[in-house]
Amino acid sequence: MAYQWDFTPVLANAPLLAQGLLNTLKVTGTSLVFGLALGLALALLRLSSRRTFAWPAGLVIEVFRTTPPLVQLFWFFFALPLLVGIEMTAFMAAVVTFSIQSAAFFAEVFRGGIVSIERGQWDGARAIGMNHGQALRRIVLPQAVKRMIPAFMERAIELMKTTTLVATISYADLLFAANEIAQKTFRPLETFTVAALIYFVVIFAFSLVARQFERRLAVSGESTVR
Amino acid sequence: MKWDFTSVFANTDALLAGAAGTLRIFAICLVLGLSLGLVVGLGRYARTWWFYLPATAFVEFFRNTPVLVQILWFYFALPMLLPFEISPLMAASLGISLNSAAFSAEIYRAGIQSIDRGQWDGARALGMRWAQAMRRIVLPQAIKRMLPALTNRAIEIFKMTTLASAVAYVELLQQGKLIASLNYNPIEAYTAVAVIFLVFLWPLVQFTYVLERRLKRDE
Repeated sequence: MAYQWDFTPVLANAPLLAQGLLNTLKVTGTSLVFGLALGLALALLRLSSRRTFAWPAGLVIEVFRTTPPLVQLFWFFFALPLLVGIEMTAFMAAVVTFSIQSAAFFAEVFRGGIVSIERGQWDGARAIGMNHGQALRRIVLPQAVKRMIPAFMERAIELMKTTTLVATISYADLLFAANEIAQKTFRPLETFTVAALIYFVVIFAFSLVARQFERRLAVSGESTVR
Repeated sequence: MKWDFTSVFANTDALLAGAAGTLRIFAICLVLGLSLGLVVGLGRYARTWWFYLPATAFVEFFRNTPVLVQILWFYFALPMLLPFEISPLMAASLGISLNSAAFSAEIYRAGIQSIDRGQWDGARALGMRWAQAMRRIVLPQAIKRMLPALTNRAIEIFKMTTLASAVAYVELLQQGKLIASLNYNPIEAYTAVAVIFLVFLWPLVQFTYVLERRLKRDE
């Protein structure tokens, strides 16, 4: 007996899926902003010559790169609120987890980019009277960031895929919406297929843009960092 | 708030069962993912369209969709097309293995591409066929360069196994959930799970750093 495909129940729930996609993008965007800022801070701390700064930053980076993101999410959602006595929504837990987690990865990209800039740039900046912070902000970072763009974009794509984990703590992202619709309509095949295709279209589009960037940087002779 | 790990230690059996489940699915996905990835990677490198195109479509699809979506698709959607049920272990292994195959395929392809054309020409000059040259000359050299990336993939696979808890497969995180809900001790239960993962993965991560450094020095 061949399976009778029927997409009408899924299409009838299109607004739910659209809201889910919107929530996925919301978690991704928010975590990306916090992740980048925190990642830069972690990178600078790790590069610091003072061990009291470098060592804890290195530990945070390693722990969050080494443990599974789903374990981190459960910890921040179920354990942290009890520990510090605050209320934590699924959205908050997701943003906190994915911000710190992606910051740990972004930090290594920032560090690779900053280290890849030759010493002469620092010396030159010092020679015209800039202090460390000025040299970093005006001379080194602008050059380093260009090399980091492909790695950043790849990381952002990974982040978007990771956000599906929030469905396990009942935040209404695209995957959670799909699960709801599948249970309501008894059409899991059609619903999950459509959800997978939506993810594919959005993420593949981002990937193509990232590859275009990488190619253009390669053409201009710019080296990139991983 | 006082930390109290006694209720976690009282459930050591449950955690051990979880660790066994984690290691089992990790082993399955590691073997399936890396070996299927080699086939797909060869396809990505092939010049014949009937090998190249399916391999490329496979890689693009599995790299550009979230692995949790893949697992849930295999668990909830695929059985509609099949005359039999899919177990949580099967669904999670399928999702994680195929996803890892797509990622490792690109590692294999890049590794093979990095080998100098002269090596191919030399093998041909000695009368080797394509498959012989690949097996005896190119792959052994490429594998060395791919080792850090492949070890990284193995670490990613280990971390991905936690997603199997979403379909209630018995692994470490699933057992952590169970312990937390039975003993009302989420702080200790989830901290214990995180620490166990650190214990497993920390040495592996440090090992990849050593591999990367050694490769950089050799090349």
